[in-house]
Amino acid sequence: MTLDPITPAFSPVDWAVPVFVVTIVLEILLARFRKVRAVYEVRDTATSLGMGLGSQIAGLLTAGVVLAATLWVYEHRLFTLPMTAWWAWVAVFFLEDLTYYWFHRLSHERRFWWAAHVNHHTSQHYNLSTALRQTWTGGIAGTWLLWLPMIFLGFPPAMVAIQKGISLVYQYWIHTEAIKKMPRWFEAVFNTPSHHRVHHARNPRYLDANYAGILIIWDRMFGSYIPETDEEPCRYGVVHNLGDFNIFRVAFHEWMAIGKDLAGSRSPREVVGYLFGPPGWSPDGSRDTSATLKAKWRAREAAMPTPAPERIAAE
Amino acid sequence: MNATLIQLAASAALVALMIAVAGWARIARPFAPLDEAAARTLLAGEFPGRIVDKVWIAGDGAGAVARSGEDALVIYRLGDSWVARSMPWRLAMVAPVRRGRVLLKLRDPAAPMARLAVSGVSPWPPETPAEALAA
Repeated sequence: MTLDPITPAFSPVDWAVPVFVVTIVLEILLARFRKVRAVYEVRDTATSLGMGLGSQIAGLLTAGVVLAATLWVYEHRLFTLPMTAWWAWVAVFFLEDLTYYWFHRLSHERRFWWAAHVNHHTSQHYNLSTALRQTWTGGIAGTWLLWLPMIFLGFPPAMVAIQKGISLVYQYWIHTEAIKKMPRWFEAVFNTPSHHRVHHARNPRYLDANYAGILIIWDRMFGSYIPETDEEPCRYGVVHNLGDFNIFRVAFHEWMAIGKDLAGSRSPREVVGYLFGPPGWSPDGSRDTSATLKAKWRAREAAMPTPAPERIAAE
Repeated sequence: MNATLIQLAASAALVALMIAVAGWARIARPFAPLDEAAARTLLAGEFPGRIVDKVWIAGDGAGAVARSGEDALVIYRLGDSWVARSMPWRLAMVAPVRRGRVLLKLRDPAAPMARLAVSGVSPWPPETPAEALAA
């Protein structure tokens, strides 16, 4: 059997579109009849789905550049890995998922890439439609470059594209409150609704955590894993939630904020900080980053009066 | 090209269907107009650690402005959720009222303006210039 190394034999995302539609309608109906937990606000849903549709169009605008760069790198590859070998699919599964982890972490921890990714987090709801609130500016932000080392190693572009599609489809079903927990062994290895709810939460306790695509093991390995706790339910959205449902604001607000900050910059250090510092970075530290929000939260927790067990026992 | 356009048109139709089902289902969070206690709870969640002096509630209960030192803490309803920002109190006090709403410029591309309903029982500004000077 031969497979075209350049053109994917199929697109997992295209195949999954009917599943997306059926499951979103099903989640709404089950919530309507109180069989599962799900909250849908109609304008929020329209924004999420509109962003999904828009991302398809935006993707077409940069597809040519991405494809040209990918083909050029593949022409200069180190090895030629066969698409028909099972071990090559195992390798691409792990390597693509590891690449996704770092892409996702970068997209949260550095403002330039956060500007392209933030839209996915702007809904204050967490349901299957939230999964489709996809970026319009990912191509411009250039995060696709992170997958080129795999191509340079010799993985065929079609193979990487199929695995990226599988990862995207996998990550769809975890955007739900309808499933509380999966079996323990599954929660230990795979990204799940519970893990990903934490990722979408704006509570300081949960910020900058659970970047996994398919496997949660990367978060456990690299120290970014935080479990969901019953004591603190997730509150969804971003630290400073958007002021309206304007789809263009969703897509571009952080880029506009970067532009505003750059226009007021007074030194190269400030330019670099505003572009590549963590989201919330400011020259005088007057704004909050995830780190400062977490530190303040920890300080508040530490300041909370707790009963002293020894004294209670003595009394 | 034609296939792409057909695919996009079909996607748009399906999106419209899903939005219609979401609208029909009416499963958004329930909304009750804010009173002072509810506003203080929301403010405590959005601005943890901040000391809130006085709270002004919008005429329709869909927003509130609280004084916290030199800052005005602003919350307003968006759909079935809330948006929160802070701005200088002195600027909030001189914000214009148009068509029954006070327009608070939040100076943030993500949420440029809060438009809160003003009414007879909730006039704007909530404090007179003399009170502001005294504070």
